[in-house]
Amino acid sequence: MAEVWDDSPLPPNVRVGEGARLERRMETFQRFYSRRDPGLVLGPRVAVYTWTSFGIWDDGVVEVGADSIVVGATFMCYERISVGQRVVISYDVSIADSDFHPRDAAQRHVDTIAISPEGDRSLRPPVDTAPVTIGDDAWIGIGAIVLKGVTIGAGARIGPGAVVTRDVAAGVTVMGNPAREVAA
Amino acid sequence: MRHLEHDWYDAPLPANVTIGARSWLYSSFAFLHHRSRRPLAVRIGDDCGIYHGTFFETGTGGEVVIGDLCQIAATVFRTDGRIEIGDHALIAHGVHIADSFAAAPPGAPDHAPRAPAETTIGRSAWIGFGATIVGGVRIGDGAIVAAGAVIDHDVPDGAVAAGNPARLIAPAAA
Repeated sequence: MAEVWDDSPLPPNVRVGEGARLERRMETFQRFYSRRDPGLVLGPRVAVYTWTSFGIWDDGVVEVGADSIVVGATFMCYERISVGQRVVISYDVSIADSDFHPRDAAQRHVDTIAISPEGDRSLRPPVDTAPVTIGDDAWIGIGAIVLKGVTIGAGARIGPGAVVTRDVAAGVTVMGNPAREVAA
Repeated sequence: MRHLEHDWYDAPLPANVTIGARSWLYSSFAFLHHRSRRPLAVRIGDDCGIYHGTFFETGTGGEVVIGDLCQIAATVFRTDGRIEIGDHALIAHGVHIADSFAAAPPGAPDHAPRAPAETTIGRSAWIGFGATIVGGVRIGDGAIVAAGAVIDHDVPDGAVAAGNPARLIAPAAA
């Protein structure tokens, strides 16, 4: 892997397994706010490339299993995103475990005020979160989007640009927006 | 050692990269994962603009050939085979052209998908932003690939392909 040019220390609540490689730039941890310990676990030999961003909020935890390859994932985590072993997450993928804002318009109105630059974040209404789980040996295609509460089974194939809003069974291939099962 | 005079990134241009007359490349950062050992691995023609966010992710046998007068914004080229871009092609930002739908950079661990492919983008083709072109296909001369389209089949000359998965929304020109 190419040289690292951001060699500032990792946040103390990040665990990096033996042989894991982080080809990181400033943006990789720019939105890492997790107060959990650990807030991010990278298993042994995980490879994280330059385009990846770990956006992990206060109570969020992201785990990536051994030997997984994270090319260009934007993680947006309020609760938990678990990635299995030997998973390939390709370029330009987004994975989110929350809606981040209320679905109800009146509550969303309140939220826009609370999260404004001078707002009071303690006044934020609750938002829905649901963990995302990606099974061992799954491949997530270029530009795919995986949304909250989704479980992707072991060995599943997520096509490029697919928008995954429902569970994908083990070994199944899905494509499209919204993602639908196709013959492998 | 060749350096681009406007470059902010330290690395020199790889020796097996050629850039034609009056062409502009944003940075040698484009070759962060360039691993090709071919004597001529990346060839950029004359009068091309290769803009910020473009990456040449070439495996050891990979080759990217870009014609003349091509304008390319923030495109990832990932190949262990060959990608050829015809003269006068336009490629918008956020486009990925890769051998595999779940590609990883060259040098990634062995279980990453790897199947060297040949991709051709025809002369005067136009690729809209966020499009993904995978699996070694041919985009015809003058064809249009719409924004966000996912292409894993050939697109005929002059045709317009859109959607995910993409379908032809306009036939080939007569």
